[in-house]
Amino acid sequence: MRERLESLKREAVLRAGAAGTAEELLDIRHQYLGKKGAITLVLKELGRLDPEERRQTGMLANEVKDAISLALTHREEALVDEGSSIHGEIDLTLPGIPPASGALHPITQMCYDLNDAFLSLGFEVYQEDEITSELYAFDNLNFPPDHPARDTMDTYWLKGFEEDKGARRLCLRPHLTGGSVRYLKKHGAPARFVYPGPCYRNENTDARHERAFFQYEALIVEKGFPFASGQLMIRTILEKVFGRKVDTRMRAGFFPFVEPGFEIDMKCLVCGGEGCKVCKHVGWIEVMPGGTPHPNVLRAAGLDPEIWSGFYINVGLDRLVMMRYGVDDVRLFRGADLRFLGQFR
Amino acid sequence: MKVSLNWIRRYVDLPDGLSTDQLSHDLTMRTVEVEGAVNPADGLSGVVLGIINDITPHPQADMLRVCLVDIGQGNPATIVCGGSNIHVGMKAAVAIPGAQVRWHGEGEPVTIKATKLRGVKSEGMICAAGELDLQDLFPAEDDHEVMDLEVFEGRPGDAIGPLLGFDDIILEIDNKSLTNRPDLWGHYGIARELSAIYHRPLKHLPDFRKPDALPRYPVEIENPQRCPRYAGLVYEGVNSAPSPWWLKLALWKAGIRPINALVDLTNFVMLDVGQPTHGFDKDHVQEKVIVRNARPGETLTLLDGQPLILAPEDLMICDATEPIALAGVMGGAKDSILADTTTMILEIANFEPIGIRRSASRFQIRTESAIRNEKGLDTQRVDQAIAVANALIKELFPQARLTAFNDNYPQKTQCPIIQVKLDWLVTRLGRSLSAEEAADILRPLGFAVTHGNDALQVSVPSWRATGDIDLPDDVLEEIARMVGYNHFSFIPPKVLLTGAVRQPDVRLARRLREYLALETGLQEVYTYPWVNRRFLEAAGLSPANCLALATPPSPDTAWLRPSLIPAMLESTVLNLRYFEDFRIFECAQVFTPGAARPSEEAETLPLQKRFLAAAFAGHDPALLFRQLKGVLQALPRAVMSEPLIFEQKDKPAWADPKAWLNILCGSEVIGSFGVISLKAARLSGIKRASVAAMELNVEGLLPLPSRSNIYHRLPLFPLVEQDFSVLLDEKTPWQAVADALEGSVRSIDFIEEYRGKQIPEGKKSVMFRVRFGSDTGTMTAEQIDEKMNSIIKKIKKLGGEVRN
Repeated sequence: MRERLESLKREAVLRAGAAGTAEELLDIRHQYLGKKGAITLVLKELGRLDPEERRQTGMLANEVKDAISLALTHREEALVDEGSSIHGEIDLTLPGIPPASGALHPITQMCYDLNDAFLSLGFEVYQEDEITSELYAFDNLNFPPDHPARDTMDTYWLKGFEEDKGARRLCLRPHLTGGSVRYLKKHGAPARFVYPGPCYRNENTDARHERAFFQYEALIVEKGFPFASGQLMIRTILEKVFGRKVDTRMRAGFFPFVEPGFEIDMKCLVCGGEGCKVCKHVGWIEVMPGGTPHPNVLRAAGLDPEIWSGFYINVGLDRLVMMRYGVDDVRLFRGADLRFLGQFR
Repeated sequence: MKVSLNWIRRYVDLPDGLSTDQLSHDLTMRTVEVEGAVNPADGLSGVVLGIINDITPHPQADMLRVCLVDIGQGNPATIVCGGSNIHVGMKAAVAIPGAQVRWHGEGEPVTIKATKLRGVKSEGMICAAGELDLQDLFPAEDDHEVMDLEVFEGRPGDAIGPLLGFDDIILEIDNKSLTNRPDLWGHYGIARELSAIYHRPLKHLPDFRKPDALPRYPVEIENPQRCPRYAGLVYEGVNSAPSPWWLKLALWKAGIRPINALVDLTNFVMLDVGQPTHGFDKDHVQEKVIVRNARPGETLTLLDGQPLILAPEDLMICDATEPIALAGVMGGAKDSILADTTTMILEIANFEPIGIRRSASRFQIRTESAIRNEKGLDTQRVDQAIAVANALIKELFPQARLTAFNDNYPQKTQCPIIQVKLDWLVTRLGRSLSAEEAADILRPLGFAVTHGNDALQVSVPSWRATGDIDLPDDVLEEIARMVGYNHFSFIPPKVLLTGAVRQPDVRLARRLREYLALETGLQEVYTYPWVNRRFLEAAGLSPANCLALATPPSPDTAWLRPSLIPAMLESTVLNLRYFEDFRIFECAQVFTPGAARPSEEAETLPLQKRFLAAAFAGHDPALLFRQLKGVLQALPRAVMSEPLIFEQKDKPAWADPKAWLNILCGSEVIGSFGVISLKAARLSGIKRASVAAMELNVEGLLPLPSRSNIYHRLPLFPLVEQDFSVLLDEKTPWQAVADALEGSVRSIDFIEEYRGKQIPEGKKSVMFRVRFGSDTGTMTAEQIDEKMNSIIKKIKKLGGEVRN
C-alpha cells in the first residue's frame, strides 16, 4: 500500500508539473485528492491494516496528500504568473489613444527656439506696437523722403492720416526696424535685444508672397563694435533654426538703415551648394539682411555714432519655417486651417 | 539687367583663365548679385550652316518641298521644308537631329529627330527665325520664311552659334541689388567694378571735343530744379537703315530689340554708360526744345501708342507748340525717330529722379530709360554719353555732320570730400589696415584719395555722389566689400555679466501660449489684423468705431481689429468645414481709436493692446462653457499671475444671454467668456455646432514676481471621504453650497448635477464629495455622525434635501 502511495505521489506531482491550464490542475486534484480520488480510495483501505501499519501508512498518506496539494498549488501560481490580464485577444496594431494636444503655431515655435538661444547670450526680448508712424517706420531709418517703400502701394497707411507727414502719419509697421529706435530711446546703450513680431506690406499675394509676415530682428549696440562680431548672431540664428552648422556668406547689400549693409546667404540645404531648383541653381539662399546701424539711425535714437556702433540682422521667419518643413505656400501660415497647423504638434 | 562679357572686354581685360563661376562669385560677393550666366551660343547647339544644293517637289504635299542640303557631312542631307523663300544655293540654318527648336516659334522647345514627313524621309529641319527664338534679329516678311544666312561667311556644317557671333557670356544681374548703384546700370560701370576686383586697368571712353563755331540749337529749361542739364546735338545726314550686325547682336544679347541704326545707337549709349538718351526727328520739332512742366489739358501720345492726359507735375520735353516727350520716360510718337528721318536731335539730359519716378509710376510705364533716370544719375555722365554717341554716329554714318549743339547746364552734381580717421576704420572693420592699403582699394573705384598716417581725405567720384556715398561709414563699406566680407575673421563679442535678463511680462506671454497649446489642447492660429465686416458685425462691433486702412486688401476688410472675437468666429467657421470638435486661440494686438505716446510727444498713436482669444467648438454649449471656464480657472497658476475672478458685470455683445461671465484680475474687468449668441452664430454662418469663446487683455494679467504655491502639511490621521447627493432648487447655484460648507470641511468637490426622471420640476440633483478629519486623532463613529449632521443641516438651510 505504501508503495502504491509513493507511486501515486510521483505520478501526481509529475502530472501537476506538466499541467498547462487551471482546468487540468482541477482535474488532477479530483483524480487524486477528490472524494473518489486515488489517494482517498487508498485511505479507505486503511481499516484493513493492523494498527501500527495503519498509523504509519496514515502518516505517509497525509504527507503524500500535502505533497500533491503543494505541487498543484505551485503549478497554479506559476500558471497565473505566466498568464495575462487581457481576456481574449488584443490587436497590437490599433493606433494609440492620442493625448488631447494642441500646438503652438509653427512660427511661434521657431520664434521661441530663437528666443531661448538669444536669451542664453544675454539678449532681452522686446515688443513694440504694430501701428506706428512714418517717423519711426521711415524717417528715423534713413529712408529718403521719396523712397518707394513709403508709397501706398507698399505700406498700409491708416485712413484719415493721408495728408499728414512724419510723426502724425500712421501705418501698420512695414518692418520691425523702427522699433529698435524706440527701444534705444527708452533704454539707451549698450543694448542687446531681439525683437520678433508681425509686419505688414501692401502686396499682391501668391504662394510666395504675403501681406502679413513675421520678422525676427536682433540688435547689438556697443562701443566700437566690429561687424566681424556680428557673425555671432547669424550663426546663432541659423544653427538654432536648422539644428546644425550652416555655411553662410556675407556679401554686399544695400538697405537704407545700415552702413555697411550685407546680404547674408546660407548654403542651400537641399543640394549642399551644388545648385538645385530650391536655390535657383546658385547653391546659396538669401536668408537675411544685416549690417551696422546707419549713423542716422543711431542719431535718431539719441546715440552718438562716433561712439556707438553695433550689428543688426533681420530674418523673415515665414521663409525659414517654409524651408525647415518644405511648406510650399506662405499663405497657409495665416489661414487658421487646423489641417495645416495640426501638423506641427 | 543683362551684362555681356564681350561688351565688358571693350573696357577691361579680364584675367586669363577666369571661369564664369568665379567671376559671378566675385561680383556677387563684392558688388551685385549675379543670378545666372549663360552662353547664347548654347541655345543653338546642333544648328549648323547648310547650303541647299537641290530642290524637288514633295510627291504628297503641295506646300512642302524636298531639299538636298550640304551640311558638311559627305552626302547631302534630305530635308523636307515648307519655307517660302528657299532657293538653290541658299545658306540656311539647319537643325540636325538632336537640336532643340521651338516648333513654329511656339510652345516648349522640342528635339529634332530624323523622321518621315508625308512618306519622305527628312534628316533635320531648315529653321525659321522664330523656331530658334531669333525673330528679333532676323525679322521675317511672312510666316513661312526661313532664315537666310547669305551675309555670313562660313562653310557647310559650321555651328551657327559661333558663326553669328553668339559666343559670349551673359550675366543676369539681380536688379534689386542695383537699386542704390545708378553707376552700374551700364556696362562701363560693371567694367569699373571688375577692374577694381581684378586689379586690371580700366580703358577710357572715347573723347569728345565740341567743334568750334557751331550754331546753338535753342534749348530752354524752364524748371532747372528738375532738369539740371540738357544737351541737344543736331546731326544731319543720318537715316533709319538697319544697324550693322555687331550692334544688333550687342543690343539683342543685352535684352533689347534692334529697331534701326538711330534708335539702336541711343540704346547702345544707355547700355554702355547707363545714361538714357533720346532721338527726335528735327523736321518735326517746331523751332526749339523747351523743358517744362505740362500745362493743364495737355496730352501726349507715346511711341507705343499710349495716349497720356498730362498733369502739371509731369516734366515734359516740348517744342515751341506742344509736348514731344515725357521727360526721362518715353518719347512721343509724332516727333521721335521715324522711318524717313534724316536729321536727328539727340537728347542727352539729366533729370531729377523723384519726379521721373512719380510720373512713370502714375502712368505705370517702366521703360529702361525711366528705371535709370529714377535712380539719380550724375550730370557729369552726360559728357560720357555725348562722347560715346558721337563716336558711334561717326562709325554708323560716316557722312553725317554735327550741325548744331547746345549744352544747357544749370546745375552740376556736387562731389563730396569725406574725412576718414584710420583708427576708426580699423576698429569698425575689426581688421588692421594702413592708410596706403585703404587708398589702394578706393582709387580703382574712382575715388581720389590723399592721406597722412592717421586719416584719409576721400573725394567721391560724381557717379557715386548722387546719394550713394556721403559718410565715412559709406567709405568703410567700400573698403570692406572690396576686401571681401568673408575675408574678415570672426571676433567673439565681449559680454559684460551685469545681471540675468528678467522680463516677467515676456515670460507670462510665453507661458500663456504654452499653457494653452501644450497643456490644454488648444491650437494656436495667426490671423490678419484687418477684419472682415461680416465677422466684425457678428461680434456686435461697429466698423464706424474701428480704425481703417487707406488702401485695404479688399473693400470688405478695411477695418483694423478692435477685438479678436471676429477672427475667432471666422476661423471657427472655416474649420467647421472639416472638424466638429476643436479648440483654437490667438494672442495678438488689437487696435482702438485713442491717444498713446510711447516714444515722444509729437507722435500720437491709437490704443494698442495685446489680447488673447480662444474658441471652443463642439455640440453641448453648457459643456463647452465649463471646459472653457476650467481652462481659465487653471490659467493664473500656469502663467504665474494674480488669480482670475469670474462675475457678471457687463455682457459682451456676442455672448448668449444666459451663458457668460466677465473675467477680472484684481478689481479690473480684463475680459469675458461665454457661449456665442445665436445671433452671432447666425451672422457668422455657424450652423449645427455650438461655440464658446473668450477674450481677455493680456496686459491686464498681473504677473507675480515668483511662484506663489502654498504648502499644507500632510494630514496626520486618515480623512473621511463622503459623497452627497442633494436635491436643490434650480435657482440655488453651486457656489452657495460650496460657500455654506467652506471652512467646516477640508475639501469639497463638485461631481455632477442631474435633472430628469425622479427629480421634480424646478429642482436639480447635485452630487459632491467632501473630505474632513481631525488633527488630534482618527475620527470616531460619533464624531463622524456629528460632522455629517452638521453638513446636512447646512444643506437644509439652503432649502436642499439630502437624497442618500
